[in-house]
Amino acid sequence: MRTSFLTLPKSFLGFMPLYLAVEIVLGISILNKCSGAYGILALFTGHPLDFMQWVAYLWSVFTLIVFSQGLYLIHKPNLLVFSQICILYTVDTIFTCFFTLWFTTQWFTLENPTDFGSIANSTADTALRTNGLSPIMAGKLTARSADKSGQSATENYEYSITIFITLASLIFRFYFNLILGSFVQELLHHPKYLVDRDDVEQDLKNKPIWKRLWAKSQKSCYRLCKNLLE
Amino acid sequence: MANPFSRWFLSERPPNCHVADLETSLDPQQTLLKVQKYRPALSDWVHYIFLGSIMLFVFITNPAPWIFKILSYCFLGTLFIIPATSQFFFNALPILTWLALYFTSSSFPDDRRPPITVKVLPAVETILYGDNLSDILATSTNSFLDILAWLPYGLFHFGAPFVVAVILFVFGPPTVLQGYAFAFGYMNLLGVIMQNVFPAAPPWYKILYGLESANYDMHGSPGGLARIDKLLGISMYTTAFSNSSVIFGAFPSLHSGCATMEALFFCYCFPKLKPLFIAYVCWLWWSTMYLTHHYFVDLMAGSVLSYVIFQYTKYTHLPIVDTSLFCRWSYTSIEKYDVSKSDPLAADSNDIESVPLSNLELDFELNTTDEPSVSPSIFDGSTSVSRSSATSITSLGVKRA
Repeated sequence: MRTSFLTLPKSFLGFMPLYLAVEIVLGISILNKCSGAYGILALFTGHPLDFMQWVAYLWSVFTLIVFSQGLYLIHKPNLLVFSQICILYTVDTIFTCFFTLWFTTQWFTLENPTDFGSIANSTADTALRTNGLSPIMAGKLTARSADKSGQSATENYEYSITIFITLASLIFRFYFNLILGSFVQELLHHPKYLVDRDDVEQDLKNKPIWKRLWAKSQKSCYRLCKNLLE
Repeated sequence: MANPFSRWFLSERPPNCHVADLETSLDPQQTLLKVQKYRPALSDWVHYIFLGSIMLFVFITNPAPWIFKILSYCFLGTLFIIPATSQFFFNALPILTWLALYFTSSSFPDDRRPPITVKVLPAVETILYGDNLSDILATSTNSFLDILAWLPYGLFHFGAPFVVAVILFVFGPPTVLQGYAFAFGYMNLLGVIMQNVFPAAPPWYKILYGLESANYDMHGSPGGLARIDKLLGISMYTTAFSNSSVIFGAFPSLHSGCATMEALFFCYCFPKLKPLFIAYVCWLWWSTMYLTHHYFVDLMAGSVLSYVIFQYTKYTHLPIVDTSLFCRWSYTSIEKYDVSKSDPLAADSNDIESVPLSNLELDFELNTTDEPSVSPSIFDGSTSVSRSSATSITSLGVKRA
């Protein structure tokens, strides 16, 4: 008998059933993964994207599709689908950590907060300013004076909040990953959700190749989940 | 009277069924009797104390003349105590509280407000989403896209909550409107509290001033909606956004929160049209970024807030929808979710095959018990059933960890 090397949470925040948590986790993840689709719209707007941005956006769209399956099946879960989601979510967590580090470096080096000139010269800026409706131009703004300095956040405050939000999102991400793992573990232990391999093989005959590849990936994820979680 | 209303909406109404009936009484005694009999649960206490505290806070801090404030609260109290009006207005208490707080927000003294952040949102946006998505989408603009963005952001957003409420009331199950008012009100209320506690500059600020420090004397900007004003020859959006109650309230986006909440309720009641509602939310997200009113991270905060509140409302307040029924008057009863019964991991006592292995007695096989070993007997009633299940499961390669 094998035992899982991880102690997984058996409920969400200590009191909610796992399926409710998975519904929330998948919903939040899907919402966030929509960023990929908007990033790809740069193709039409002409905004330049570098290689890592393309990778991040395309990966987001792919995970969006995978995670979406789960929301439809949450009340009638399918072990193969949730195994695939669990493994993909774990890989995505690793990718997210890497992307977070990469883009943090980008922000603090390329978009140096003191370099206002580069920001003010963007096309969007021109589009907004050419309307002649800038509050400064309209004389509606009060120039920032010394006694107003307390109303704006200090560098330290801005930096701390940025780090806090970034770390909080990563911590939630890890916890969500554990919740998904726990849900799949419970499915593995539940006889109602047993996978009949023969049925799966039988169903795949005469199916398009992409469907067979998709099912093959689900089976691989299922085997991996069995090894890791059972 | 066989009018169109009766023909369309009451044709499927079951006889002697009153679940969809509305209260028509104007007698305050009925409300007082209800209050006397009412036994609030803990969640009700939290709900009313929270909303009551905010209403009290607004009552004290709002700069309007005291007589006007007293009269307004008395008027609200009257609406609450008359059964015919109470069924709508009392259930809309979270919405009324949100509106009261929102319109008081502009009067908070500057020296007591938290500091305005201008770098946090663009930094977090870049770190979590790879770039400033608002910049990407607002890179090139034209009149067609301006109109396309204006429709959901500047028009539909303000009318949609009412349209959704009416459609839910007529075509949803009875009491779904109460759930909508609860979820919509709380989402906006928590959103406005967050906007006041964490003031942050929207993308238009970065475009106009870079990452220069902000202060509360600054006026708001219509962002891309200035182009609509110019196109239509009006100054509606410039005036409205310049004098907004929460100028530095970029985070979270309540435009996104409202659209998501409306879409979630519509998806819940009319699941066949789900792609349409999802498309509307995506359209609104694009328009907010295109018009430089919000970062993507603001939209996520608004939508996640909506989603979490909706999930809570769904499992605690909302009636279950029967998609085969036409409208509220077609329902014979109101059923709600049973969280534990809906759990796909729960054991079904009527189906021995679906009992989780954790509930089965596997000790005889795994031999991990501390009790003295007892030889299995063919006369073991319940154990023999467990053993049978366990054996068949083991043969399929499933073992209890």
